[in-house]
Amino acid sequence: MGLLQDVDRLLRGQHTGPDALAAARLPISAGRLLGAALALGAVYGAFMGLFAVLTPGGPGFAQLVSTTLKVPLLFLLTLAVTFPSLYVFSALARSSLGAARTLELLLVAVTVSLAILASLGPVTGFFTLSTDSYPFMKLLNVAFFAIAGLGGILFLRIALRGAFAAPVGDGESTPRGRRGPRAVLRAWIVIYAMVGAQMGWVLRPFVGAPQLPFRVFRAREANVFVDVLRTIGDLFR
Amino acid sequence: VSDVGGLLRAEGAYAVGAAPPWARLAAWIALGGAGHGAVMGMYALRAEQALYSALKVPLLLGAVTLACLPSFFAVHVALGLQSGFRAACNGVLAAQATLAVTLAAMSPLVLFAYVSGATYRQAIVANGVAFAVATLAGQAALRRHCRPLLAVDPRYRMPRVLWGALYVFIAIQAAWVLRPFVGAPGLRPSFLRAELWTNAYVVVARTVGEALLGR
Repeated sequence: MGLLQDVDRLLRGQHTGPDALAAARLPISAGRLLGAALALGAVYGAFMGLFAVLTPGGPGFAQLVSTTLKVPLLFLLTLAVTFPSLYVFSALARSSLGAARTLELLLVAVTVSLAILASLGPVTGFFTLSTDSYPFMKLLNVAFFAIAGLGGILFLRIALRGAFAAPVGDGESTPRGRRGPRAVLRAWIVIYAMVGAQMGWVLRPFVGAPQLPFRVFRAREANVFVDVLRTIGDLFR
Repeated sequence: VSDVGGLLRAEGAYAVGAAPPWARLAAWIALGGAGHGAVMGMYALRAEQALYSALKVPLLLGAVTLACLPSFFAVHVALGLQSGFRAACNGVLAAQATLAVTLAAMSPLVLFAYVSGATYRQAIVANGVAFAVATLAGQAALRRHCRPLLAVDPRYRMPRVLWGALYVFIAIQAAWVLRPFVGAPGLRPSFLRAELWTNAYVVVARTVGEALLGR
């Protein structure tokens, strides 16, 4: 119950308001955030992996277990890859957040993303039961991951708005000076989205193609953007 | 980490106008450069190349800085701005440390590109982008540190702009001389290539010429 209450407070922005950010510690610990992220990711992963179990000739239960573990891992590894660059760029743009607070805030954004994703789990489950089209399920999951990622990023943007306000009188609080932090945040969002998408590709399979045997990871080939275009083509065949 | 925060925000010991801790700045240049260099050399999973590149990136940053300093001084003297040279040098060192730390922060992205199955050319492009972004971060730090000088005399902008142009011009050739950093998969790991003293700009001009003439 405590976990659900934490997630509820997170989604309402109670842990990332200006007062919470100004305090020495966030009202929620990094450990609890990590626990919430792992649990929420695992919930969606289980719904996602259901397709492999219910499709005749599919990779089966092993895929469900693998996907349940890999969904939270996808978000946390993306965070690990992109955190150093966000911290350096935000510090260069004179954000008031230290490294630990930046990491906590990113963990909050990841947890929010995973909460949105977990809330879409029943929808994925419903379509898993009502369709046997693998390309459709793949694109549906890509769309849900994009929605969840976008939700987390919007949340982060609102939380960071206050942190990027330059102190008055430092020569950078002019409208021109405030453009830098905004550009930093936008550039980082693009990097985060691209790394997240490609991380999904590196950690595939998640849904599990019905005609292929179970594998924890597939061989390295092409990239996520090429595959999404290919899958859209497959949908119309 | 808080020390890095101070460096990037130009606060505390690294505040604009303060006498900077030169030894710590040099340490950040060495650590940041070595960190990114080690990742650069991991492309073909060869520890030897990773070690060479970890040694060569700080060497590259230090050598280019030293090569640019005499011209930087000459421009200050020619403009009658030698009184601000020491403060400008402090800014240059802070800028180099910022560049190295930014490079290190971008190394997980480069490593991720390698893991994603980047080809050798894509690996070189990924590292080129990392260096370009880090150079821009360094220039931003230099601009920040030169702001008080500019308030005194707007002519201080010229040495700073010339520094940026000269730094990039020399760095490209120095990186060419000190290659390989990534390490082509088909070649043995080496500290330097056998054809050491060739010119990066001539090679690019010849390549473009050959492409245009269809040779």
